[in-house]
Amino acid sequence: MKKVLLKTDNLSKSFSSGGAMQHVLKNIDLKLYEGDFTVIMGASGAGKSTLLYALSGMDTPTLGRITFGDTVISDMSQDALAVFRRSHCGFVFQQIYLIEGMSVMDNILAAGLLVSRDKKALCENARKLFDAVGISPETQGKFPSQISGGEAQRAGIVRALINCPEILFADEPTGALNSKTGLDVLDTLTGFNEQGQSVVMVTHDMRSARRGNRVLYLKDGVILGECDLGKYVHGDMARHEKLSGFLKEMGW
Amino acid sequence: MRKSLLLVRSNVRRAKGQTAAIIVLIFLSAVMLNLWLMLSMDYKQNFERCHERLNEGHVTLAVDGNGSEMKDFLKRTVQEDERTESFGIDSAMHMVGLFEFNGGEVNSEFIFLEKETAVSRTAGRAEIVEDSKYTSGIYMPILYKSEEIAVGKTIEVSIGSRKMPYTVCGFFNSVMAGSHNCTMCGLILTEDKYEELRETGCAPEAFLCSVRLKDKSESEDYEAMLKNTVSSSYPDVRMASNSYALVSSSRYISQMICSGILSAMAFFILLIALVVIASNIMNYIQENMKNLGALKAIGYTGHQLMSSLLLQFSGLSVLAALAGTGVSYVCFPALNEMMMAQTGIPYQVCFLPVPFLLTLAILAGAVSFAVWAASRRIKKVEPITALRQGVRTHNFKRNHIPLEHTRAPLDAALALKTTFSGIKHNVTVGITMLVLSLVVVFSGLMVENMILDTMPFLNLIVGETADSCINVNISAEDAFLRKMKEDGRVEKTYLYHTTEVRHVGGIALMATLADDFAQVNNQKVVFEGRFPKYDNEIAIAAKYALEKNLKVGQEITITAGGKQADYIISGFIQITNNLGKDCLLTRTGYERLGDLTNKSYYLNLKDGTDIEAFHSEIKEWFGNDINAVINIEATVEGGTSVYVMLMKAIVAAILVLGLLIIAFVLYLLVRTMLGNKKRDYGIMKALGYTTGQLILQMALSFMPAVIISSIIGITVSSFIINPLTAVFLRNIGIVKCTFTVPVWFNILAGAGLIAAALVLSCLLSLKIRKVQPKELME
Repeated sequence: MKKVLLKTDNLSKSFSSGGAMQHVLKNIDLKLYEGDFTVIMGASGAGKSTLLYALSGMDTPTLGRITFGDTVISDMSQDALAVFRRSHCGFVFQQIYLIEGMSVMDNILAAGLLVSRDKKALCENARKLFDAVGISPETQGKFPSQISGGEAQRAGIVRALINCPEILFADEPTGALNSKTGLDVLDTLTGFNEQGQSVVMVTHDMRSARRGNRVLYLKDGVILGECDLGKYVHGDMARHEKLSGFLKEMGW
Repeated sequence: MRKSLLLVRSNVRRAKGQTAAIIVLIFLSAVMLNLWLMLSMDYKQNFERCHERLNEGHVTLAVDGNGSEMKDFLKRTVQEDERTESFGIDSAMHMVGLFEFNGGEVNSEFIFLEKETAVSRTAGRAEIVEDSKYTSGIYMPILYKSEEIAVGKTIEVSIGSRKMPYTVCGFFNSVMAGSHNCTMCGLILTEDKYEELRETGCAPEAFLCSVRLKDKSESEDYEAMLKNTVSSSYPDVRMASNSYALVSSSRYISQMICSGILSAMAFFILLIALVVIASNIMNYIQENMKNLGALKAIGYTGHQLMSSLLLQFSGLSVLAALAGTGVSYVCFPALNEMMMAQTGIPYQVCFLPVPFLLTLAILAGAVSFAVWAASRRIKKVEPITALRQGVRTHNFKRNHIPLEHTRAPLDAALALKTTFSGIKHNVTVGITMLVLSLVVVFSGLMVENMILDTMPFLNLIVGETADSCINVNISAEDAFLRKMKEDGRVEKTYLYHTTEVRHVGGIALMATLADDFAQVNNQKVVFEGRFPKYDNEIAIAAKYALEKNLKVGQEITITAGGKQADYIISGFIQITNNLGKDCLLTRTGYERLGDLTNKSYYLNLKDGTDIEAFHSEIKEWFGNDINAVINIEATVEGGTSVYVMLMKAIVAAILVLGLLIIAFVLYLLVRTMLGNKKRDYGIMKALGYTTGQLILQMALSFMPAVIISSIIGITVSSFIINPLTAVFLRNIGIVKCTFTVPVWFNILAGAGLIAAALVLSCLLSLKIRKVQPKELME
């Protein structure tokens, strides 16, 4: 039986817009499991990113409860959430968001040194991760504006993984990349998942969604359905058809 | 123009806080600038206007005598001199006296005038500025109007050996005799009181001669001529005199100090405002490169974009300057009141167009120049390049403080990275802290040497201070000295007598005589060379020596009482009593020119001695052989309390302004950084940095510039503050300042500046709380 990593009870999120309340997430009950590659899909405005940011403790829900392991994080203060994020979560953003004024290596260490003071071990780990994602030592010393988008996103993945997070959140990680580079990034994420890394990814791209073993479909703030795709196998057409069928059923 | 206005509106809307802070800096600068210009362009000219309105003399001489012989002699002397334009000679009474004022004593040569005579003099008229129902009593110079000297109250004036109580009937204004800073101080009595005083005989009858000159610049020479002529014919006659040059300077010392400080503060604040504006514009260009490229692409020219910035900042500056000049008129009455406590000449605050226009022109001009210099880069912006490249805020040549190798704690290392990436911010902070360090060191100097311990200030301004000064007739000198030696209360008695001599080829100088200058309390009077030791030596005022290009070792000829002798200059002195027209001679040195009929001795008394009782005993023992007794401490206290009060106000204002300026500059920088780094802070929060960590990083990023510039500023200022203060005080005869620089105060003040900057930047960075990582998805 899979271990529940993160659980939501009646998770709701509303925004006030022009005096009217807009309910983006509505009473979501969800469980995320250890080792899963969970994909959250949905059309634009369905609330995918809002759900991801609420799950990761970057945003607080309007109502409901989020529990990470035995810890309720939905009641935490902003600073407590910051400490939670640095210890348990990793983030990969669509816009990459490396800090422009820091070298690639510094971007990784700025996240790593928040958790560990063992700089030597941290640097070794960073180099291993760089090797794993295919970033050369020369690139590690460069600034974000001096490297390609694909390299930057892979550096973003290294930054997300430097503290060995229990869960990796990825918000449209291939959204800003070209097709070939996007595939490289997906391969990287898949590779880490195969090594046991739990991943939660938001996407509206079917090619990306295929990488997950579990696909959740979100519509109008509600999880409309879910599809269990099983372990990812490259070139598995049956898997592709299953996902297509599911999405069709969901009205994609 | 319309397009430029649209851009201005958009720029201002986007940076409301920064705009407000720049407005405040320009506003403060305008307040100071306008006050300074009003003080220097009109306040002193008030003396001139008053002088003309009252048809005042350029030389005033009070000489004892009541017969027609003396009056005719004076009349003949002034009539025969072709420099005379007009004159007036009136009867008066003349005697050294004192009254209590401001917790001390005013000790001066008093000229008593009958009311009708005083207000109707052909030259040197006094004007009654406050009258009352009281018809018998005294009218005091307006300078002394205070709680204890008010209409209806009784004032006791000690005249010679008598104490005369008078009811204060009102106050008057006199340009040449309205203050103890004029060598002589006029007191107006009602007819009955004037007669009463005359009958007592304690104040000898005299003639008061006021002479208007065709050329007022000759006032000092004319005064010396008049005194020499009178003393040649009447060697033993008592005289008191002053000149336009002396009075116009000595009554405006506070104006000069205030003007100096205000001008320095105005330009310091303006400099900071210009640096902030330039830094803001450079930052604006950097951050809005894409927008500027887009605007150029749709047809805006570089000139139009520059014009919008010019319009924005010069427009704001003019508005702030208008508000500042307005507020300066609100502040001026309070400043005027403080000044009047020293000048004693009433000043009516009114709108002054020239300082107003100059303030606007200086501020608008300086701001326009700064905007032009900082925004020239816009002309070079190529639309396509700007649109493609967008923002390039970082210098990628070098990775400062690589986290892999640094030993600094994470937050400190990240703060240092920010420091190295913001050179313009460091320059702004550096200049601000350098200026404020100078201001703080100046405040420390004033607190140490003028407020906590007035002695250094007194030594500089008054020259020599002791407990008591007693003027004794020469016939009683030996007995007096014997008595002082026997008296257990007296610690030291030394000759310290002032008389007038004349430098041949130069002007009249006040000569201070002593038997042995090693005995005088203030050994700092000589700052180059040494005191005169032998009868052929003289120490001379440095200011005068500079004017006449005299050198130590040079021989000069001095004349007095018809004789002349040569003296070698042994050293340079600085005493402000006569605005730098002084010299020191030994007693034997002076005796080569003439003899004295009376001598002033300075006395150091044991602690706890009742000086007033001591003086009474002296007067009792020696009777008429004592011409005057002065409680120096009380006299000095009365005279210096005005300066101390003024300096307290100035120091308080400087410190408050200093804090305000740091706050505004840091506010501007923090706001700019928050704007620039909002995305970075969002990312860092997403990674797990707490708000506290980011605030600390932001505050620490300013610290290298704050600490380095404060240390440099405090150290350099500590070395240059004395020469700088001497520049301010040059007009009153100070060439070299030797004030004690309070090292510990400066160290503490420096630490305070740094701590204030740290606390303020932490407080101002609290806005980081509002940065949410979720904004990254928006």
